[in-house]
Order: sequence, then C-alpha cells, then structure tokens
Amino acid sequence: MGASLRALRALVLLSGFYLLGVVLLAVLAGLDYAAFTAGLHGPALFKLAIVSVVLAVPIVRGMLMLRTPKGEPPAGVPVTEAQEPQLWQTVRDTARQVGTRAPDEIVLIGEVNAAVSEDARLLGLRAGTRRLYVGLPLMAGLDEMQLRAVLAHEMGHYANLDTRLTPLIARGRAQLIRTIGHFHERADHKVATERAKQEKKAEVRIAKGKKAKAVDTTGQGALYRGMARIYTAYGKLYMRATLSSARRQELAADLASVRVAGRDSTASALRELNALDSAHDFYMGSYATLGVGAGLLPRPGEVFGGLRRLLDARSDELEDLRRELSTEPTSPYDSHPALAERVARIEALPDDGRAGQAARPALELLSAPGDALATLEQAVLTPQALALERVDWDDLVHTSMTHYVGQGAQDVREALTAEGAGPELATLLDAVDADPAVRWRITDRFPKSEQASAATGRAAREFARPVLRRALSQLVTADLTARGAARWQLSWSESATLRYASEDFEERLGLALDAAVADLPDTEPLRKLVLAP
Amino acid sequence: MIGLVILAVMLLGGGFKWAKARRGAGKREESGHGGAAARAAVERGFVPADRLDTEHRAPVTADERAAVAAAGTGDWQACAAWLEAAGKDWDERIRRVQVLSELAAVEDQWLLAWRSAKPQDPTAAVVHADTAVQVAWNVRGSLSASQTTQEQFRIFHRLIAQAQEAAHEAQRLADPADPVPYMVEQPIAMALGYSHERYRELWTQITERDPKVLAAHTGALQYWCRKWRGSHEEAREFARASAAAGGPGDLLTLLPLYAHLEQEMATGDADPDVYYKQPEVVAAADAALADLAAARPDDPRAGRLRHVLAWVLYWQDRYEEALEQFRIVDGYIGAAPWTYVADRKARYLRVRDYCVSRVPEKA
Repeated sequence: MGASLRALRALVLLSGFYLLGVVLLAVLAGLDYAAFTAGLHGPALFKLAIVSVVLAVPIVRGMLMLRTPKGEPPAGVPVTEAQEPQLWQTVRDTARQVGTRAPDEIVLIGEVNAAVSEDARLLGLRAGTRRLYVGLPLMAGLDEMQLRAVLAHEMGHYANLDTRLTPLIARGRAQLIRTIGHFHERADHKVATERAKQEKKAEVRIAKGKKAKAVDTTGQGALYRGMARIYTAYGKLYMRATLSSARRQELAADLASVRVAGRDSTASALRELNALDSAHDFYMGSYATLGVGAGLLPRPGEVFGGLRRLLDARSDELEDLRRELSTEPTSPYDSHPALAERVARIEALPDDGRAGQAARPALELLSAPGDALATLEQAVLTPQALALERVDWDDLVHTSMTHYVGQGAQDVREALTAEGAGPELATLLDAVDADPAVRWRITDRFPKSEQASAATGRAAREFARPVLRRALSQLVTADLTARGAARWQLSWSESATLRYASEDFEERLGLALDAAVADLPDTEPLRKLVLAP
Repeated sequence: MIGLVILAVMLLGGGFKWAKARRGAGKREESGHGGAAARAAVERGFVPADRLDTEHRAPVTADERAAVAAAGTGDWQACAAWLEAAGKDWDERIRRVQVLSELAAVEDQWLLAWRSAKPQDPTAAVVHADTAVQVAWNVRGSLSASQTTQEQFRIFHRLIAQAQEAAHEAQRLADPADPVPYMVEQPIAMALGYSHERYRELWTQITERDPKVLAAHTGALQYWCRKWRGSHEEAREFARASAAAGGPGDLLTLLPLYAHLEQEMATGDADPDVYYKQPEVVAAADAALADLAAARPDDPRAGRLRHVLAWVLYWQDRYEEALEQFRIVDGYIGAAPWTYVADRKARYLRVRDYCVSRVPEKA
C-alpha cells in the first residue's frame, strides 16, 4: 500500500474515533428525548438525564484531547560531520543505498538501540527535521556491516515515509487508550465507593448484633465498562488495521538492510541485538553501577565502554542468546514482528555471495571511541552520578564489595552487641565459648521466614544455623578484607570472588565455620585461622 | 483457575469416598445407632472415647515414664540405662531409640550432654542419628512440595545428608551384632531415594545381624510400597517373603496384612468391604491368628499385629474374632490402621463399637 493511501487510512481511522464519539453522544441524547416523549417525568427522567450526562463526560474528554503527549527524546550527544566524519559518511552511504535523504542530525545515545524520528509537519504530509539516534552500547556489540544493516533498517522507514505517518497513527492510538482508560477509571471508582458504602453498612449491622450481608459490587460500574467495551472494540479494529501494515513495514525495512549490508550481516545483526540487549542490562546492573552504593563509578568512558569487556569474556553465554530468538512479538502493540520470524525470512533469502565479508568493529567508525563514550556519560548520567568518585575496575569491585559486606556486618555487630557478644568476631567467639546458646539468641534478632518462626525445638535451631553461619562469614570477610588478608577479585565472566592469602584457606574456613555453628561448638579453628594467623 | 478445578475434583473425589464409606457404615449400623452403640460398648467394659490414649499402642511402663522424665531434667545417664536395658531385643531397642529421639528432636540438652561426655558411645550415636532424621522431617513439614519452601527443602536435604553420616558413624561404633544403627538408616534411604540395589545391600546388613526384627520388616515394607520406591506387587512379594521367613510366634505374619492395608489405602476406588474378603487376605488373617496363638503371651510387639488384625477381621465380617483383638488392645490406639487418618479416634470407635453391636453378650 502506498504512503498516501496509508496516510488516508490513518486519517479515516482517526476521524472514525471522533465519529464514534458523536454517534454515542447522539444515542444518549436520543434516549433521553425518547423517554421524555414517552411520558417519563419527574425524578425518573431526572435520573436518566443525570446518567447520560455522566456517561457523556469521558466521551467528550477523549475527543477534546487536542495534543498527543510528547515522548521525551532520548538524552544523547549530537555529533557534527566535522566531529565524526566516518560515521556520517557511513550514514550517508546507507541513506543513498536505501534511497532516502540522509538525516539532518545524528545523536549518540546510551542504549542498545538505533532509531529515527522526523519532526513531521501538517499531520505528517510534509517533511521535517530528520534525526538518527545511535546507541554506543549498540555499536560496541556490532561490526561495521552489522551496524550498516541496522542503520539501513531504520532509514528504510524514512524511505517508506513511515516516520511521517507515525505521529498520526500514534495520536489515534493514544486517544483511544486514554478514552478507554477514563471509562475504566470511573467504573473502578464507582465499584470502590459502592464497596465502601456496603462495608460501612455491614459494620453497622454487626455493631447492632446482626449478621452482615456479604459485600456485593457486581453490576456496579457496568455502564462505564459497557462504554469502554465499545471503544475497546473500535481500538481492536484500529490496531488490526495499523499493526499489520506496521509489521509489513518492518519486513520491508529488513529487505533494505539486506540490500545494503548483505544477507548474513543483516541476520547476524538481528541475532546480535537479541544478545546485546540482555548483556547490556546485566552489565549495567552488575558491573557499571556495582559501586554506586559505595559512591564509586568506573573511569570516564568505562560506564558504557566496559560492556566490551563483558562481551569478550562471556561470548559462550551470549552464543545461546544469539541462537534462541523469541517467537513472540514483545507485545501485541509492538510494530515489530517476532524476531525469530524476521531472521528466518532473511536467512531464507538466496546467498548473495557476501558471507564472511571482513568488517571492523563498529566503534572504530568514531574518531575517538573513548572520548565519545566519556562525553556520552556527561550527557546521559545525572549530576549525582557524575559527582561519584571514578576508580579502576579492580578497585571498584574490591572497594564496593568490601563496603557492602561491611554494611551487612554492621547489622550483625548490632545484634551481637545487643546480646552482649559484640561487636567483634573475637568477642563473639568468647561469648560462644562461655554460653553456646547465645548463638541462637543472636539469630533470633534477624528476620525469619514464616516457617522458621513457627518452628520449635531443634527444628528452630536448624532454621537458625545457616543464618548464624552467614553472619559469622560476613564478620570474617569484613575482618579479612579490612586488614588486607583477602581481596575481592573482579571477573568479567563470573561474579566477584574473594581471594584469600593461601590456596586451601577457603576450605579450611568452611570447616572452621561449620565447627563454630555445630551443636557442640568449637571456636578454636576459627580463632587460629582468622584471629591469630 | 486450573488450580480451582483440580481442587474441586479432589473435593468431589473425597466427598464421594466419604459418602461411600458412610453408606457402608450405615448398612452395617442398622442394629445400633451412634450413641447407642457407643453406650453399649462402654457397658460391656470397653474404654469410653474420652479415655482412649491416641499416642501409644500399649500402656506406658513406669520405667519408660521415668526415662522420659529424666530427659527433661538432663539426666542422660538414666536415659542411657533405660535404653541399654532393652539388651539384644532389637525390636525393643529401636522402639526405645525412637522414644528418646522424638524427645531430642524437641529438646536435646540431655543428648548434647551425653554426647559431649561420651563422644564414642554407640547408643548416644544411634539416638543422635535417629534424632537427625526426625528433625529433618520437622523442618520439611508434612505439606505437599508446592507448599514447602526452598528454605525448608534446602535444610531438609542438608539434615538428611547429615543424618546419613551420623547413621554410618553409629554403625561404626556399634556392637557388630546390633542391627539397630542400620534400621535407623531405613527412613534415610526412603528420603534419599536409595536404588533397589542399594536398599537390598542395607537390608542384607540388617538381616545378617537378625533376620526377624519386626520393625525392620515393617520399615522395609514402606520402602517397597508404591508411595515410596516400589509397587503394590513388590510390596506384596516382600511381605510374603517376610512371613515365610518367620516361624510361629515371630509375628512376621503382620507383613502381608500390612501390605494389604497399604494397597487398599493407596487404591482410592477399592471397596474395603470387597477388598479384604479376597481369599488371599482371609488366609493372611488366619495365619496371623495362628501366629499370635504361638507367640509369647507378653510379647509387646503383638499389639501391632492385633490392631491391624482387628481392622481386617472387621471387614471380613468376622466380628467375634475382631472383638477378641479389641478386648486385648482396647484403650491404646496409637497404632496403624487408626493412625492413618486424621481422626484416629473416630475410626477406631466406629469399627470397635460396630463389632460390639454385632456380637451378642455372653451370659
């Protein structure tokens, strides 16, 4: 379907929304009038009129929503052609191959994503400023050809004029969703008020010594829900009409990628995106922000750039993510078809002889990748984050883990002190030697599961034993790290581990902890190992 | 939603079974109605409902009461002496181990004192091992897997593994003739899911030391039941072999009756009124009666057999013989088959009072 035909359909669908509102209002007014002429008078007519007015409000409110709420554009760093000539050249090449005008701005962002936007004017009928957003984490995971494939896909949307129509379609969707929301909101509110009213009545009945009636709110808000259902039905029609073509647009854009970057680079880029997304999320949570609680960030450029180290170290794990693609669209309203379907369509194309073409890492398109990554931090991170201390990765892991274990140990020390056994490991071991039962009084001060609180006798002790062992272990770790006898070790392929002074230390420590938490405790091994090395 | 459907099906199934049981009972209770039957039983010297002991299967002796009290005051020497007094009566020894380990699973200061005073004591070691099994199950609880938390499973598995170590330690310390430390491993084998081969090895360890320990046989029967690691067929086969291995008075005729009880309980749609009247079960009951006649009159294990026998004879409509068993064991109902249901008292009274109503009073 051509762009103008799609534009027409988008307009028709949007006006359908207004038409629906007008028709519903007319029906309401018609009912009132019919009731009046049929001889309905007095309070009954008044009540009917009230009901229709109440129902009309959300309809009118939905129609009066004149402006689509604007989504915030992603924060990023705009780069000029002078700053990044190679990137611009790549983008221009790709645009030419796709057959569209190159973007007017390129903005580097901190997401695993590339996106295009166009400030469309006159409901999308005239061209506006085109912006291309490219994520540096995305570039970190792709080679140049894969990046071209992604860029070509996005610019395929320009060529198709999809970007211009998007606001129009989005506006229709937003209005529908908002109107349906209004009705549901009111229905919920009505049910809640009715429930409160009935519960109050029930309380009064109970107070008078009578049996309370069960609260029943079925039927409440039914009118609102009925109206919402009418709009939902229209919404479904709307979605079906626009989504199928949106998904066709995506597949067409994929074909543009294949023309530009070759079949294999396009398919592998899509697979890579699947893996990169999870890898980036994991990286941000477990590495980049690991030190935030301890007031630390990695060195400038590493907040986003460290991802490359993770990708190198965990390539086997990522291989699974590249292989297993989702067969479901991310949501029924997502314009992209399921990833597995897109990749399958691409891989089914005939061999274009471009398999195994050599390509450099996409980040090398930037004149100074390290600087770009560092500049991005300034644009994306909050002022609070930017104020944090910057340290090397090794120190970041050691210092922040030490900080967190220390925090955990603080709770333990408080419990120890409260039972007269604190706050140090030495004082605790002395207290255990004097009275082994002090251990269970200490663990009683920690939060417990429902089952652990219900347990009695020895079972209660067995619930407490792992808690005690963990607490002891925290104290030991805090002690060892504080005096440099153990160090947290960064690993890009696994979680951080504690490195002790000697090889067999860990095993001996395990046995010593077991002995200290046993029914007949022996604190000697722990003393020898940790306190008097 | 699916959960609700399953729940509904289960409730309907349960309700159906209950209705069927009631119908059977109703048919049988034509002669005397509820309260009247109960009054009649009491008038004829049977113990009234409120005086039934639901925890024990026989009166608790004075020395046992003293040992339990001693544990409460931390006097482990008294507990040890009571346990040692069982001598080489292995059935009595394992019973006393279990009495003490049940106490220790709740409050074990006396056991800790005992073990620190005599770390190499074989008796303390075996009580310790059996206690570990009890504690593991107390942590695990008796709810279904879906209602048991990760924490409970984690601790359960750790404790069962420790119980196994403790059992092996007890076996190492024990008198080489003593099968009890191996019997303590039987429930561990069920929890850890020993293979048939490994279980047979354990069984050989027990039977080499004494082939006729009744508690060992009933423990092994549990393993061979369908609900654990076996099947109805394997359980019946094991029970037949056990009965054949015992001489008159050894009471191993309990095993076939037990196997039938387990199978009937496990088969939801079996009508007990039909099931227990099969010739094979009638023959098993006859053999048990003959076995009891040959047994030592004061054999404390006889109660276990009499309780199951009373139940089986009742379903075989042999009310007079059933009533004879009831007369002997009446008052103490902490035994199978009554313990297999939540309201053991109701089950016991329904069966006993019905038998009373069907047997005319002798002049």
